[in-house]
Amino acid sequence: MLNSVVAGLTSGGVYALLGLCVVLTYRLVAVVNFTMAACGAVGAFVMVTLMDAGLTGWLALPVGAAAGAALSALLGSALVSWFSQHDERTKAAVTVAVYVAIIAIGLRLFGSNTTGAHRFPSPFDAPAFTVGSVVVPQAVLVSMGFAVLITVGVSLLLSKTLIGLRLQALSERPTTAQVVGIPAPRLAIGVWVAIGAISTLVIVLVAPRLGGDFATLGNLISTALAVAMIGAFRSLPLTLVGGLLMGCLEGAAGSVAEIQKYAGVVPFLVMLVLLWWRSRGEVWDTAHSR
Amino acid sequence: MKRAYRSLLATAAAGVLALAATACSDDGGDTSGPIKVGAINGVTGLFQTPEVPQAVKAVFDEVNAAGGINGRKIEFISKDDAMNPQRATEAAIDLIESENVVALVGSSSAVDCGLNRATYTNNNIVSIPAVGVDPACFTSPNIAPVNPGPFKLITAMLYYASETLGHDKVCMMFVTLPGAGAGIDSAIKEWEGITGKQLALKNTAVGQGDPTQYLVQAKSAGCQAVLYNGVVGPWTAQAKTQGMQDVDFIVAANSYTDANAEVVPADIKVYAGTEWQPYTDETLPGNDRWAKIIDANKIQKTAFSQGGVMAADMFVEVLKTIKGDITRESVTKAFKEMQPITYPMVGTPYVFGPGDAHNPIEGSRFVKAVGGKWEVLPEGFIVPGKK
Repeated sequence: MLNSVVAGLTSGGVYALLGLCVVLTYRLVAVVNFTMAACGAVGAFVMVTLMDAGLTGWLALPVGAAAGAALSALLGSALVSWFSQHDERTKAAVTVAVYVAIIAIGLRLFGSNTTGAHRFPSPFDAPAFTVGSVVVPQAVLVSMGFAVLITVGVSLLLSKTLIGLRLQALSERPTTAQVVGIPAPRLAIGVWVAIGAISTLVIVLVAPRLGGDFATLGNLISTALAVAMIGAFRSLPLTLVGGLLMGCLEGAAGSVAEIQKYAGVVPFLVMLVLLWWRSRGEVWDTAHSR
Repeated sequence: MKRAYRSLLATAAAGVLALAATACSDDGGDTSGPIKVGAINGVTGLFQTPEVPQAVKAVFDEVNAAGGINGRKIEFISKDDAMNPQRATEAAIDLIESENVVALVGSSSAVDCGLNRATYTNNNIVSIPAVGVDPACFTSPNIAPVNPGPFKLITAMLYYASETLGHDKVCMMFVTLPGAGAGIDSAIKEWEGITGKQLALKNTAVGQGDPTQYLVQAKSAGCQAVLYNGVVGPWTAQAKTQGMQDVDFIVAANSYTDANAEVVPADIKVYAGTEWQPYTDETLPGNDRWAKIIDANKIQKTAFSQGGVMAADMFVEVLKTIKGDITRESVTKAFKEMQPITYPMVGTPYVFGPGDAHNPIEGSRFVKAVGGKWEVLPEGFIVPGKK
């Protein structure tokens, strides 16, 4: 059992990273971004394609990140210029449409699992330490470190800096923010650029462990959204913990033969309970505020 | 109520129309023009096999260039279903009722068999898929693919692990597609019956995500051989991290691609079960002819394209035995009464026959990933229970 929980932690770090990217987008530009993983996957595939063509990893990575950032910026600028007055639901719907388009085009460009399995560079596959009979690779530490870095870094950025303050204003009251002189469109597109680049880095980091084909990586968004839900699309630390917990739970469920078949369902059950628990509070509040 | 009545009426009307259409069609009975042959292939969508219809057409072009069959040319009509059930259903009806094809040859679709098996039976038409994917391809009266298919392959992989490699602790880590569970269980049972052995560990609920947890399970169970059918790259990379260099991993035919050979780490042992003579070695029996056709038509070389060539070859062979007019009826009859045909690219002879379920091709030939390439192993075809 302990072995399985530790083994699950390797997935957990990945889940946490993915969830954080979604929460980050939502916190900064108030959009539930379905294209997050797909943009990252495009960036990651640009990187491996360049590497297959002979470029070194250190040159290919920034180019890939730039490609992911550019795609994300394109979507961001479309949202800013055409949908800034629309509500969150419409914006989410736009990202869903773009997500479907990116997946379709990406499959054409980079191939499916049978034709386009790429070897992603995995510099962190060396063992870090051993717990029980599980060898924990360095990649787990790196992804957890990256997740903590994002959590702490963004929290500090939002609470301690002027740009953070402006970003918060932008996400909560975009029109008011513009009225008081915050350059909303430029700032928002800047955020989209950053998210595209970070998503690419995250996808490059998780790709060697999840499978190097475009559809698998682009579809990671479903997991990412699920984890983001644990943090209620708001709390970065909760998302981080939630992701790790989800990985461990999945590992534990997978080790019990009776519920093995449903191991994938267990995290979602937990999430359902969490959501219900939270909404219970809200119902209570609503009932008593009348 | 009124609405229900109207929908009932609409259904009835559609039924009448369908009946009328069947009555009007000549059931592929036109004996003067070309022999029309159909196929349903995934060309776009998630299951992409564009090379299969190209390979089938290449064989028919060759036959036509040599004068056709009894002076009649073969006209090949391939429909792309984009792995979309709606399109696959429409394609079958279109081919049978509008195009009046005499048979379906060289289909390669992930959804065709399950959706259209009843249509084929009702229209008394046979389908010889190049690639049978879903279980229904191997359990229908009018469908007989030219590949062993996923379940016979599992039996062969298990047999290879326990008998050829001689392992006692054989484990199975499988991603199960919807509807495939029963087929997997009966494949395991067949192996148990032949060898008298049991699996040391069976997990048919392997999911996407980091494979570490499954590898740890296999390690804890002391598996000497692990059958696996999921994504190869991360699995083998993490197997290396977990120090499983002494385990024989046996992957399924879907993993037998050039790209996968390249992603296997140098010290991890990976074998793949193939459905036809391994396509990566063109000197193997039967592959010379396949390679010649594929090269001449500039088609992508894959295992599936072997299925395309074989399905077309089987069809032509059976057509040659028909005395009299070549119609849908005579073609179906010829397949149901055909003698087994030995074909060097597979382990057992191909035969359609009269039964209600057909899985004529059995056994698998194994390859091993060595230095970024698949190396063909010398044992030949491993057919469970046969030396």
